[in-house]
Amino acid sequence: MRLLTHNMLSSNIKGVTNGFPLRIEVEKVVEKSVDFNPDFLKNMFAKIEYKALVEASRIMGYAELPDHAEPSMLESDDFLRKFHHALMELHLEEGTLVCPETGRRFPVNKGVPNMLLHEDEV
Amino acid sequence: MAVRQASLGGVDVDLETKTNVEKLKRGIAEFYDESSGIWEDIWGDHMHHGFYDPNSTISLSDHRAAQVRMIEEALKFASVPEDPMKKPKSIVDVGCGIGGSSQYLARKYGTECTGITLSPVQAERARALAAAQGLENKVSFEVADALNQPFPDGKFDLVWSMESGEHMPEKAKFVNELARVAAPGARIIIVTWCHRNLSSSEQSLNPDENKLLDKICDAYYLPTWCSTDDYVKLLQSLSLQDIKAADWSEYVAPFWPAVIRSALTWKGITSLILSGWKTIKGAMVMPLMMKGYKKGLIKFAIITCRKPE
Repeated sequence: MRLLTHNMLSSNIKGVTNGFPLRIEVEKVVEKSVDFNPDFLKNMFAKIEYKALVEASRIMGYAELPDHAEPSMLESDDFLRKFHHALMELHLEEGTLVCPETGRRFPVNKGVPNMLLHEDEV
Repeated sequence: MAVRQASLGGVDVDLETKTNVEKLKRGIAEFYDESSGIWEDIWGDHMHHGFYDPNSTISLSDHRAAQVRMIEEALKFASVPEDPMKKPKSIVDVGCGIGGSSQYLARKYGTECTGITLSPVQAERARALAAAQGLENKVSFEVADALNQPFPDGKFDLVWSMESGEHMPEKAKFVNELARVAAPGARIIIVTWCHRNLSSSEQSLNPDENKLLDKICDAYYLPTWCSTDDYVKLLQSLSLQDIKAADWSEYVAPFWPAVIRSALTWKGITSLILSGWKTIKGAMVMPLMMKGYKKGLIKFAIITCRKPE
């Protein structure tokens, strides 16, 4: 699971008002090289929750991403590459995503999160 | 009447229904865990009908092109923009199978697509296939429930459901979720199996029709069917715009005979024997699908709409 995916997942357990972002517990992180695509990144910047990405990348072991970002920073190759690395190249292979409100744990196995809810959670 | 309403999700869902829904979801996951491999082996990564010119004769090799054409025709029907400024930038594939549509859409629009399926086997396979195609950075997959999508509101510019709607036990909830995760201005595309529309004097299908559908439901882990009109009404109730619906049954007619023929090849038969009872049962029910289409009972429907800005 890349952090791009993590950035779009939320816990929709019944009664939860803010299930985003899911807290990450790491068991295995894998870094995978991905082609650098500035246009794609610029499109994605507008759609993601940047703060959640920064927090998640730190937990995954990458501390280079600046705390705050403005769209103007997308013109900087340096920032774009850090953004690219955090968003696209850090994979959670094994671990857990945790609902920020209820503490409910969603497993991630072989890079695939299992977000199925139990009967009493819907 | 109560059964049809329950399938639409129009009455409060009681405990018995909830348990049945859980059983159904498990059945669906297990069915695809077991059958995905054999389908992929013979038919490839698109687990949906092909779109054919009516009365054409096709060979097995043309079917993949027809499956791709189905995707393109659906996008065209929904008027999904191709202009670089207006094309979808985020896509969700609801009931993604092994990711055939996800891969195609991500490649076509050059953007990211995420797919959800109840089957862990399919999600894992989808991930592997995408990686093999170099699309690992553009497509992702999660094990999740279409009736409780793990996404915040308004996330996706294109909400895609290609032949998964027929598995959804509470149609109202299903459509609600599709609308919820759609961004303002997003297009929602549902391609699904429906039963014929009821006339104004009818409360339900006749008993013979229900009997035929029940047999199919049992083999394919389908809940009670609804009609194309039912979908349109649900979309209207959510104030979605540009609602369009069509019956594409004539364009998919060659599909089931072709699937049956592929099952009867040496490869088909041996694969079925090795796969498992759920898959074999699914294969045995295929002639009933043909019968349903021939009788005008089963319809291959497309329903699309746009979420207001």
